Amino acid sequence: MDSAPNGERVGPGSGAAGLPLPERPARIDSDRSRDARRSAIAVAGLGIAALGLLAIVGRALQRSSPSTAMAGKRLSSSGARPEAEDAPDEERRPTVAAARRLNRAAGILAFSVLADSGLEHYRGAFKNRAMFVAPVVSALTLAISAHGLADARPIVHRLRHVVYALAGLTGLGGTALHVYNIRKRPGGFSWLNLFYGAPLGAPGAIALAGLLGYAGEWVRGIPAGPGADLFGLPAGRMLAGLTSGGLLAVTGEVWLLHFRGAFQNPAMFAPVILPPASAILLANAAVRAKGMDRWLTRRALRATALLGFAGTGFHAYGISRQMGGWRNWSQNILSGPPLPAPPSFTGLALAGLAALGLMEDHPDA
Amino acid sequence: MPEGRLDRYPGYDVLRKRDTPSWNDVTRRVIDARLAISDRPRFLSETDWATLQAICERVVPQPPDRPAIPVAALVDDKLCRDDGDGYRNAKLPRLREAWQRGLRAIDAEARVAHGTGFVALDGDAQDALLRAAKQGDLRHPAWEGMPSDVFFDARLLRDIVHAYYSHPTAWSEIGFGGPASPRGYVRMDFDRRDRWEAVEAKGGDEAEVRRRNQRVG
Amino acid sequence: MSDDPQQTPRAKDGRAPDVFHEGGWIPMREYRETDEVDFVLVGTGAGGGTLACRLAEAGFSVVALDAGPYWRPLEDFASDEVEQNKLYWTDERICDGENPLQLGSNNSGKSVGGSTVHFAMVSLRFRPEWFKARSLLGYGADWPLDWREMWHYYREVEQALKIAGPVTYPWGPKRPRYPYRPHEVNAAGLVLAKGAEALGIDWVPTPLATLSAPRGNSPPCVYRGFCTIGCSTNAKQSALITWIPRAIRAGAEIRDLAMVGRVETDRDGGRVTGVRYQREGRWRFQRARNVVVAGYAIETPRLLLNSATDRWPDGLANSSGLVGKNLMVQANQAVWGTMDEEIRWYKGPPSLALTEHWNYEDDGKDFFGGYAIMSQGPLPALWASTQAIDRDLWGEALIQEMQKYNHQVGLKIVGEMLPQERNRVTLADETDQYGLPIARVTYSWCDNDHRLIDHALRSMTQAMQAVGARELWEQRNDTCHLNGTARMGDDPRSSVVDADCRSWDIPNLWICDGSVFPTVGGVNPSLTIQAIACRTGDRIKALAARGEL
Ligand SMILES: Cc1cc2nc3c(=O)[nH]c(=O)nc-3n(C[C@H](O)[C@H](O)[C@H](O)COP(=O)(O)OP(=O)(O)OC[C@H]3O[C@@H](n4cnc5c(N)ncnc54)[C@H](O)[C@@H]3O)c2cc1C
Ligand code: SF4
Repeated sequence: MDSAPNGERVGPGSGAAGLPLPERPARIDSDRSRDARRSAIAVAGLGIAALGLLAIVGRALQRSSPSTAMAGKRLSSSGARPEAEDAPDEERRPTVAAARRLNRAAGILAFSVLADSGLEHYRGAFKNRAMFVAPVVSALTLAISAHGLADARPIVHRLRHVVYALAGLTGLGGTALHVYNIRKRPGGFSWLNLFYGAPLGAPGAIALAGLLGYAGEWVRGIPAGPGADLFGLPAGRMLAGLTSGGLLAVTGEVWLLHFRGAFQNPAMFAPVILPPASAILLANAAVRAKGMDRWLTRRALRATALLGFAGTGFHAYGISRQMGGWRNWSQNILSGPPLPAPPSFTGLALAGLAALGLMEDHPDA
Repeated sequence: MPEGRLDRYPGYDVLRKRDTPSWNDVTRRVIDARLAISDRPRFLSETDWATLQAICERVVPQPPDRPAIPVAALVDDKLCRDDGDGYRNAKLPRLREAWQRGLRAIDAEARVAHGTGFVALDGDAQDALLRAAKQGDLRHPAWEGMPSDVFFDARLLRDIVHAYYSHPTAWSEIGFGGPASPRGYVRMDFDRRDRWEAVEAKGGDEAEVRRRNQRVG
Repeated sequence: MSDDPQQTPRAKDGRAPDVFHEGGWIPMREYRETDEVDFVLVGTGAGGGTLACRLAEAGFSVVALDAGPYWRPLEDFASDEVEQNKLYWTDERICDGENPLQLGSNNSGKSVGGSTVHFAMVSLRFRPEWFKARSLLGYGADWPLDWREMWHYYREVEQALKIAGPVTYPWGPKRPRYPYRPHEVNAAGLVLAKGAEALGIDWVPTPLATLSAPRGNSPPCVYRGFCTIGCSTNAKQSALITWIPRAIRAGAEIRDLAMVGRVETDRDGGRVTGVRYQREGRWRFQRARNVVVAGYAIETPRLLLNSATDRWPDGLANSSGLVGKNLMVQANQAVWGTMDEEIRWYKGPPSLALTEHWNYEDDGKDFFGGYAIMSQGPLPALWASTQAIDRDLWGEALIQEMQKYNHQVGLKIVGEMLPQERNRVTLADETDQYGLPIARVTYSWCDNDHRLIDHALRSMTQAMQAVGARELWEQRNDTCHLNGTARMGDDPRSSVVDADCRSWDIPNLWICDGSVFPTVGGVNPSLTIQAIACRTGDRIKALAARGEL
């Protein structure tokens, strides 16, 4: 009776965007339940993501500890060739430090995208095969970021470069698909569809992850000394501008969703006030004369980074306020506030800090 | 008998969700009690009961390959509880009286027309008699002025159909999600189902669908 | 002692049920029957519940009685159509006329919270012109209220219930933004949306009195779709979980399982003195300075008629002879069909999308009034009996048709019916379990009603065809909501109460519920009932301040 093409059927294939992607789900035995398969993928994906995140955060906390470097390396070996060799003195080079911070930022963003798109596309029942692209690419990005973080050499890494570029393209393609999804719904570009259709801003986050990582690779390749530049512009300032824009874009998305939630809890205002404030401070720092005092900017960015994690805590509380609370997780994890979304602020704020660091280490950058 | 009835939701059993967050305690209590209703009359007399059973078999025929829904018992239970609707057409007596009179009148009509009670008629003859009731064509004194068409719509059809579709077996048959509290639903767009909803067979995929439905919960 | 809220009252001994917690209680002030309270209210639904809250918050002493039980939705509401019959007014009523009404689950509740406990939550404002239907549109009667004032009170109710509605509303004068954002629209609603777009008319996600985000102890809607048999989520902003807890906090007393049989008057019949009611098997009397009757459009006139005295042989407040007359239901016709796609309309509140186009567009109409079209999602037993009765489907044909449940869709109207004096509530000879004469409800459609219905069925058929629905069929025989029977007006000869819901005949007798509507409009009534109750509360406060109570 229903002859509509059954989009649920997953054949071996490539990403709909035409990208030759290793779509692991495609190879899973078609005899087994798709539901179970998807849950398994989701769980596995989240597991890997959590590991990656742990590695990244762990490194952020104790930068010089060899054991965390190991963790990063172990992880990186799953995503790319184990290329990260011993870190020479050059680890101290500011550009490399900045690059690794950017890797970390990209990784956190990628983690957020992985978990969020995995969940949201699971909610959307992976109706369209292209819906596998975002989680797969963000998983790659996450892995490659861990790799970059562990890598202390001042050498641009080809595979990382490619993956980050891929993430950027995925973001663009995803945005196009989400625009298409909204346009074809009754009402087109209406509030209703902005609220409940494919989220317009979400793919932008993976693009940002790609961009940050890509920038990290560039920065890494810049010779030490004054005049570090990116595309002919001072790298630090350029990055600060980029991050500032990213923060504002993500704030837009958060505003939309918190507006959908009628700002029912005053805490919901925090992520539409703090991040744009730090974005403005950061932008200001980017255009202002060198040598100015940037402690306020740094504070604001740090607070934004923390807010990203606190947000997940708030969202966990939000889920507990849904009917049935955590006991009804199978519904509420999907219909409650998205757990993995807020850390994207952390990622961006860390990128902002990296940019600040670069500007300070390279006063004329 | 309904042969070759299309089973759109093979393997789906809404009762499998009983112990999931889709059911709350009061729902479990209520449905357990409904499932425990035995197929015996508690209010109606044996004769009326037999007539009611025969009518139910015509109004909501059931397949032989699954336990039958005790439709007549559910109607009898409603009568037992005297669970009225809160209104009645002025041409009808109260709930219990209407049913008793209606069942006796239908049986009496059968005896006049065929010389035997309603229960003994074959399916076609039973259907014909019920259709005549629906048309308002039956006038036996046993109706005592109650119009057969009003009785047919407002009591006979309403109560029997309501009883059948208040049973979990019927919910499974139509792919209804069944009780839903505290857990409701997430996916509401066209062609979407949550994993705690029935999978519909599209033809040719019954075996696979059956397996998937056995995991719904 | 029985724990069954249908057998034993819960609001007693200085406490009332906490609707937000299983087995929970909140403290409640109690009055003695010998206390002459400022206000006793009969009924705690959209009208009575709201007014009880407003009066208590204004500092009056208030006792509100309801014949129904006091539920805790979390522990008492099953996801089951049969069980939840307990929410409805199922005491006997007799229906006749050319188009006998279906009552019970179709329109009247019996609970603390009244019919809002099982209503479908559609919360719409009147079109402004309807308040002057006679002078501006040429039919029905004028209301003694000004739409701008009502706009203010609509706002207040929308805020109080955190209505979730569209960000912008395409019809009528500008209205402030709804406090909560609209709900996601389910497939059944998207069918309406596509149909409307195909016809080139506007549609919106329905403004609903159920939460789209958390609020206090209420979680947001979980789209379980059992709204019309009671919301066990507490997302639905019924009077039971909004106005009533507020009223109790402000010092009102609620008495559940308290059936009022008579409003008593003093010796010369000039004033009412209180109400006689039955609770726990005993008839009692509560003294009061004012009585507000808010039992909905059947029980309100029944109580007034049952309270006849020598001085008022035709019933209280009935010198105009209009008590019980001009009963108005609303047209509730539908066009149903089947889609190729899975719809699964049991998910989500039943009417997530609507169009008010034909409420605001007068061109091309050969009838007075208007209608709104809403998407639908009937539960299985209701849906099966609808198909059985209205399509004459039974036997194998019915079973087969019901197999299409998850593919079926429908559009249904809430349409204006005109007031007619022949449509009325009177007393029958039969009595109920309390020994009180029951209501006889007489209803016949007029030509205008038929024309409106024909027009609506045509437009819904067009919309359904445009979206590719097949096997279309029309359901002609359905109505919903109850209004009229104690209309408000400017003239004691042609109305029962004035603009303040105060009866013309007895100054301390008030009527505040759906009964006071002079016309019904083409939208669901409860937002308007609550807005009127808020206004009445303000007016009473103002009158009291001037010593005019
Ligand atoms: C299935 C359904 C869906 C609906 N959907 C909507 C909708 O989507 N939108 C909308 O606006 N409206 C809807 N309605 C209608 C809405 O619920 C009513 O219009 C509204 O609740 C009426 O308010 P009221 O105060 O006049 O009466 P009610 O809310 O019915 O309250 C009357 C109360 O008075 C009590 N009572 C009556 N007589 C006595 C007495 N003698 N003694 C003691 N207590 C007494 C009753 O028990 C009852 O609780 C719906 C109704 C139903 C049945
Ligand atoms: S759909 Fe929403 S409003 Fe309706 S019963 Fe469920 S939770 Fe309550």
